[in-house]
Amino acid sequence: MIALSVAAVLAIFLLYTSIAGGGNPSVSPSELRGRTGEMQLAGLVVGPVIGDAYAGGLRFRLRDIGGKSRVAVPVRYTGSVPDLFKIGRHIVVDGRLRQGTFVAEPGSMITKCPSKYAPKQSGDPA
Amino acid sequence: MTVALLLAALLAVTCVVVVALPFLREPEPESDSLDELDERDRRRLELLEARDRALSALKELEFDHRTGTISDDDYRTLVGPLRREAAHALQALERDSSQP
Amino acid sequence: MPELGRAALVVTLGLSVYALVAGAAAARLGRRRLALSAQNALTAAFFSTLIASAILLGALLGHDFSFKYVARTTSEALPTAYTISSFWGGQEGSLLLWLLVLTGFGAAAVRLNRGWARDLIVWVVPVFAAVAVFFAFLVVAVASPFATQPAPADGAGMTPSLQNPYMLAHPPLLYLGYVGLTVPFAFAAGALLSGRMDERWLVATRRWTLFAWTALGIGQLLGAHWAYVEVGWGGYYAWDPVENAALMPWLAATAFLHSVMIQEKRGMLRVWNVLLVILAFSLSLFGTFLTRSGVVNSIHSFTQSSIGPWFLAFIGLTVAFSVALVFWRLPLLRSPTKLESPVSREAAFLYNNLLLLALCLTILWGVVYPLLSEAVRGEAVVLGRSYYDFFLRAFGLPLLLLMGIGPLIAWRRASLRSLLTTFRWPTAVALSTGGLLLVLGAGSSVPGLIAYTFAAFVTATIVLEFVRGTRARKALGAGSWPGAFSSLIARNRRRYGGYVVHASIVLLAVGIAGSSAFDSVAEAKLARGQSMEIAGHTLTYLSLDERQSANATEIRATLEVTRGDRDLGTLKAGKNAYTIEQQVSNEVGIRSDPLTGEDLFVIAEQIDPDGSVYFRVFVKPLVNLIWIAGFVFVLGSAITLWPDAREQRKLVTRTREIGVPATR
Repeated sequence: MIALSVAAVLAIFLLYTSIAGGGNPSVSPSELRGRTGEMQLAGLVVGPVIGDAYAGGLRFRLRDIGGKSRVAVPVRYTGSVPDLFKIGRHIVVDGRLRQGTFVAEPGSMITKCPSKYAPKQSGDPA
Repeated sequence: MTVALLLAALLAVTCVVVVALPFLREPEPESDSLDELDERDRRRLELLEARDRALSALKELEFDHRTGTISDDDYRTLVGPLRREAAHALQALERDSSQP
Repeated sequence: MPELGRAALVVTLGLSVYALVAGAAAARLGRRRLALSAQNALTAAFFSTLIASAILLGALLGHDFSFKYVARTTSEALPTAYTISSFWGGQEGSLLLWLLVLTGFGAAAVRLNRGWARDLIVWVVPVFAAVAVFFAFLVVAVASPFATQPAPADGAGMTPSLQNPYMLAHPPLLYLGYVGLTVPFAFAAGALLSGRMDERWLVATRRWTLFAWTALGIGQLLGAHWAYVEVGWGGYYAWDPVENAALMPWLAATAFLHSVMIQEKRGMLRVWNVLLVILAFSLSLFGTFLTRSGVVNSIHSFTQSSIGPWFLAFIGLTVAFSVALVFWRLPLLRSPTKLESPVSREAAFLYNNLLLLALCLTILWGVVYPLLSEAVRGEAVVLGRSYYDFFLRAFGLPLLLLMGIGPLIAWRRASLRSLLTTFRWPTAVALSTGGLLLVLGAGSSVPGLIAYTFAAFVTATIVLEFVRGTRARKALGAGSWPGAFSSLIARNRRRYGGYVVHASIVLLAVGIAGSSAFDSVAEAKLARGQSMEIAGHTLTYLSLDERQSANATEIRATLEVTRGDRDLGTLKAGKNAYTIEQQVSNEVGIRSDPLTGEDLFVIAEQIDPDGSVYFRVFVKPLVNLIWIAGFVFVLGSAITLWPDAREQRKLVTRTREIGVPATR
């Protein structure tokens, strides 16, 4: 009886995650080219950082973390900017690629703190 | 630096002594075998546990009945089997004790 | 001094290896003195780890930057309290703390139980030693806290966001919890190895498990509070892998705490229990692995850490070894008792276990999904908040309801008639509460309304139990009502302590439901003098002030809060710009209403040069119940943990009856 329930429960997850989706592919800047749809972009913040996240959008670029790729994708971000955001930080944003610029979902930025062994979460996931 | 080395050596020696202590205290013991429960003791322990389980189930039923969680009817239905179980457990212990 | 620290850790490693080998040999061959020697080795390992820890602490307090670790995690200007907290703030130090607690718990658990469970302890020692060998190996060879360098003038300092009191309590509490789960695991493995599948391993570890579970729970609650007030994005839990890392073992441990009660009362679920404790322990290892290796937070690793593969290997080894052990001893574990009815207390506990486990596995699946999808599909897919929220409701709400049903339903078999009588009153209370709330507008969130209704149900059952119990106690001649109440609890600590813990979970559930299902949010860019509205409150931006503190520039916007025509005072929100660390932190303004438990939460998202501020404001109803629940939780656990003289006597009598000496 126990085994059956466990199996049933597991079946529910597998169904939910494969059909309902609810997940976004996580990519790095060098993998972005030509891709469409909602994605999660993870990268290193490269300057210059200009603009206003609450008026017109904050603009910066993202590069691969620890990779050899020199590709830097322009990002336009609106909404809540976590404290730890700055040039050189690793961040994650959700959004989609539009005409060469990655347009982020408002408020979807999450930053990681590389100096401590545990990542620091300070953005509100969409 | 040498102070550190000295202290480290002291630590190592102390630990070796602590570990060897049982052998140093009893260089020639009469018995070195572990106090283990033999087959007989283990069986008895199981019977004791069964007895304690049955008795505590009865106690809990009484408590639930007294507090009103279990109605009189349900109490009457449930108490019989529990009492029998407790009796069985006690009897099994008796039999076990009377064996050599 | 670092040499002494290194040496002390090598000694610990050596002692642990000895305890493992000698302990296993002693158990296998039945050698008393060798077994004792292995036990001593475990105790000695604690002391040498203590020496190493003292050296590291001394180096931290003395600002000895020749220690790489000290230079990396502290600076001259860092306040003493945070210098102490940096012991566990970095990789190497936290591993040392883990080892310290592990050897300490191991030595204590073995010493306390060796008098009456010698044949069990003899196998517990090598298991504990094995875990100690792993962690000792890590701090000796992979991540040593005693690496040295030519001392720089000053250290790198601590991230400002870690410089708060939470850093002093949150990690140590979590560690007490994680490491504490090693104790029931070691005893379970010891029992399996020795073939002694009687109840002694459960009896010996019950309080340890409870303590670990409480510490883990409070540690998480503190973490949530920290996220809420310090990180300040408006929430307290984000289903981040690091947060989930602690929740999973806690859920498994909760299931374990309940199912052992069934084993205790009915002798059932023996296989289930050992598997659960193995799961809880493995999850605690996995949890710390997740936090350290950064392997799931990104696809191309945010933190390069060499520690990950070691942990993974050890977890794999532990799981494989433990499962094999269970399979080997399966015949001994099987019990003849079967579940008599799907409507009984045993069944209720079983459903509770299944739901808790389901939730735990949901979270685990969510955490590893990115890794699995990357391996299978070539790209990492991350599951979002909606996935977790869905299953939290799907499994959490029935769990909430079960908390009210379980304690009142009869053992073995409950008749329909008895169900009707027992649950008549609580159901009435729940339905009328639900109806009332619906009228008051709680229908805006169906899961929230259900949560409230179920909470009312459970509260009614708990109150009923206390009232009935006190009344029965008084009828037995206990004197006054307060006297009856206290003697009721004193004589039935586990039962009524458990009810108090359940009450704390109800508070938690209500707090979570209120603040997530019925909250409001508003955003506006305000110039000085402008106002914004949210949920009946009016906030007027008055002024912007700047102030210099020891290590930061503090900018605060002052807002005036009114509700209707009532003046609720002022609120400040802003940012701190830390000069040395070149970082900015968010300082949120929170106004808690003492009567309703509601929070007005203000974030100054962006402060423009012209003085206008972009505000984000939340109104979170009942959120403070979550923190109050923490206190009630500790109270309930304390009652349950309290030493019971009568229980002790019963145990001693039992062991005497089989001829085991009660003391050494």
